Amino acid sequence: MEELDVEPAITNIPAASDGKHLGFAWGPGDILAYETLYMAPGSGCSFIHEVRKDEDIYSPILRKLFNESHHIFVGLQTIREDLPSKNKKTQFVSISKNYRSVIRACMEELQQVAVSTKVAEVATQYGNQVSILLAIELIWNLCEVLFIDAAPAGPLLLHLLDWVRLHKGDVDEKAREVLQSESPAEHHDYWDVVVSYVLQGRFEEARQMLVKQATLQPAARNMYKLMDTLLSKMPFYNPGGTQTLTEFDVKWRHWHEEVDRCLQDNSFASNQHLEIICKILVGDEDTLLEHKELLSTWYHFLVTRLLFCHPTVKPTELHYYAQSCMTMFLDLRSVPEPLDSILLAAFEFDIHQVIKDCSIALNNWWFVAHLTDLLDHCKLLQSHNLHFGSNLREFLLLEYASGLFTHHSLWQLAVDYFDNCPEFGHVYLELQIERVPLDTERKALKVLRICEQRQMSEQVRSICKIMAMRALRNNRLGSALSWSIRAKDAAFATLISERFLQDYCARGTFSDLDLIDNLGPAMLLSDRLTFLVKYREFHKLYEENRFSEAAKLLLSLITAKIAPRSFWMTLLTDALPLLEQKEVIFSADQTHELMFCLEELTSSLNTTAPGTDRTMQVRISSCTQTCNRLQIKILRCKSAITIAMRKGKNAPGF
Amino acid sequence: MVHDAQMDYYGTRLATCSSDRTVKIFDVKNGGQILVADLRGHEGPVWQVAWAHPMFGNILASCSYDRKVIIWKEENGAWDKMYEYCGHESSVNSVCWGPYDFGLILACGSSDGAISLLTFTGDQQWDVKKISNAHTIGCNAVSWAPAVVPGSLIDQPSGQKPNYIKRFVSGGCDNLVKLWKEEDGQWKEDQKLEAHSDWVRDVGWAPSIGLPTSTIASCSQDGRVFIWTCDDPAGNTWTAKLLHKFSDVVWHVSWSITGNILAVSGGDNKVAYTL
Repeated sequence: MEELDVEPAITNIPAASDGKHLGFAWGPGDILAYETLYMAPGSGCSFIHEVRKDEDIYSPILRKLFNESHHIFVGLQTIREDLPSKNKKTQFVSISKNYRSVIRACMEELQQVAVSTKVAEVATQYGNQVSILLAIELIWNLCEVLFIDAAPAGPLLLHLLDWVRLHKGDVDEKAREVLQSESPAEHHDYWDVVVSYVLQGRFEEARQMLVKQATLQPAARNMYKLMDTLLSKMPFYNPGGTQTLTEFDVKWRHWHEEVDRCLQDNSFASNQHLEIICKILVGDEDTLLEHKELLSTWYHFLVTRLLFCHPTVKPTELHYYAQSCMTMFLDLRSVPEPLDSILLAAFEFDIHQVIKDCSIALNNWWFVAHLTDLLDHCKLLQSHNLHFGSNLREFLLLEYASGLFTHHSLWQLAVDYFDNCPEFGHVYLELQIERVPLDTERKALKVLRICEQRQMSEQVRSICKIMAMRALRNNRLGSALSWSIRAKDAAFATLISERFLQDYCARGTFSDLDLIDNLGPAMLLSDRLTFLVKYREFHKLYEENRFSEAAKLLLSLITAKIAPRSFWMTLLTDALPLLEQKEVIFSADQTHELMFCLEELTSSLNTTAPGTDRTMQVRISSCTQTCNRLQIKILRCKSAITIAMRKGKNAPGF
Repeated sequence: MVHDAQMDYYGTRLATCSSDRTVKIFDVKNGGQILVADLRGHEGPVWQVAWAHPMFGNILASCSYDRKVIIWKEENGAWDKMYEYCGHESSVNSVCWGPYDFGLILACGSSDGAISLLTFTGDQQWDVKKISNAHTIGCNAVSWAPAVVPGSLIDQPSGQKPNYIKRFVSGGCDNLVKLWKEEDGQWKEDQKLEAHSDWVRDVGWAPSIGLPTSTIASCSQDGRVFIWTCDDPAGNTWTAKLLHKFSDVVWHVSWSITGNILAVSGGDNKVAYTL
């Protein structure tokens, strides 16, 4: 078993006092904890606490995140393996962007609620969730740039610039404020905006802002012209162009020297602000660090520094710069925050560390599961064996999906995740799906369909059995019967058929005729069931006055002996009205068979052990009486046939 | 003082039992708490409750210091005693329902050293088999192995009842963990696992995730939690691995549904998660 190298978080349970033990039990999505004394009676707090790890699945807005990312996940699994790797990369990047846009959409919605709500608690809670999602998107974006897009030196910096720009929204806000003011160039935030633009490499916008200042200071026109020229001439690598990286590097160095010369010449000495900008352009570390507030994060500092010192940075060189930038920037704080460690691990291209740190920092597996899955598809994860042998991707997906299973509707999403875990997905699904409460028939059918589609016959049987039992307990015989047919449970079907027959004997009518009449081949599941269906058919034929067919069916029922013994009397009694018809229904052969059955029954009645109780005796005697009546009827029938034969008329059955 | 709390299969009902001799059942759907039943019948503190599989209906077993095991059933919305077993001579410490594939079968461990197995045979009849002297001084815990058909990799012809091997594990005051197997209708001691130096307080057989290995957790008065694994399907060679030594008695171990987390409760008032 792998050793835990991080102290597990401690959750305190209130009211568990000294000297007592902590009892617990597993719930579906949580743990129950309560104060107790094992194996010793006593008194104490009788509260039971529910400890829940993941509240997120109950948030209505986050639910969209789960739903939509599920959709993306399923799509990702169907990408064909045989596509050329270049096409695949484009697709993977596009999928990564999809995930990120889903996160952003969710974030915006949460932000709206956080801002507009009047409930302080809600505002805090949603505000926290927004921060978490912001961090998640930041990390994901960086992973996309470094791992999935895997840009080489040249485009790498451009991507990193985009990344920083995307996550520093306050610059545009400030700029808007300044521009909307009466005299933007005199706004107290003016220079902050200009410098921020420069720090982010947004020179066009910086130049436009500077023009406003230039018009206010006609005397310094030349200086502003010079700055404008410097800014406009800074080379940016063009990935789609014909220029090689080396050529770009040469050009950039020329430009860099030019800027340096301006500094040395004191060209901007009389304008403090322009001087600062020039120092930034030349990549002076101290000047950059003086603007910590504007940079606000060490990774912004990192990208800016690279922009002005080493725009052709290679991916493998990143970690060195990242480490040093972080150290320089964070000198006041002693310990980096979890987010910082994660980003640093990303710059070091230590994917496993990123995933591990994210798993520990977040309380929901959503992020790590989906990101790891995507990275795995990009073939970026070496197989990393965990304790029970499943690889990292599968482990995280299993944990995430198991968490979803406790939710009353999100569990359906979990099924697809399990389907895509080749090693343990199936068995995890088997274990979890049995725990989905079957509140309604509709839900049970949904669960059942899922099990049937995956040949989970054990679970199918179990679910049908549970539903059948439930229906039977509520006296819904029809429902119980259809469930036991679905479970292919012959024994249960027999039990229910007997109940039907009992009901019939008691009330003289059948219930659930629709079901029984339309069973089709399912009726063959059990003998008793077949009998029930055929018996009902007999009644139908009788009601429709199709007497000879009814008679034939009845006779076959009697002779086939699939009727329970207790029912024989009933069957023979049913023959009575047929015998009493004016027309002769039974053929000679049929009457023979009737007689035979009757004799068998009578003899069994007569051989009943002496000493049977009074009720039994009454029943037997009434049976005997009926038998006698039958005998007479049959004999009369027989003679009618004989007469008809003698008279040359066609008797039925010939 | 609550001694045990168990959620039912679906997490919609909670059963608790207490020193006050009652068993209470709550409806906890949608975060609510409604007392559904207050079952009285025991004459001493009730130590454990266990829910049977929902396919048998709503059935709950409870065991108590009063030497009785009571099985309760819900019929038409009301809970009532279905069966009462008084065959033990001392406190009954643990009850555990077998996998539903075996039908309705309950194992009970008692301080009189015996383990009894109650099987429902239909029509309000229960068949009782007793293993006397399973553990000298007393048996503290019982836990069933998941249902496994021998040679289950081969397709069973449909419609035939598969031949399950019924197995369970028990822990006792003789410091031993014992495995029991049913052969020809009789229960026999299959394995004796020695590793603890004091009373074994709880045992738990991990759920099966389709691998041929079996895993058992045991915890003891000696503060140790052991994980026992067996790699051969015949179940003959078991290896112990010490999970952790705690500073105090460990009372209770429990596996999560998928068997990847073991929760452990110790005398030092902590519940530890292990992956």
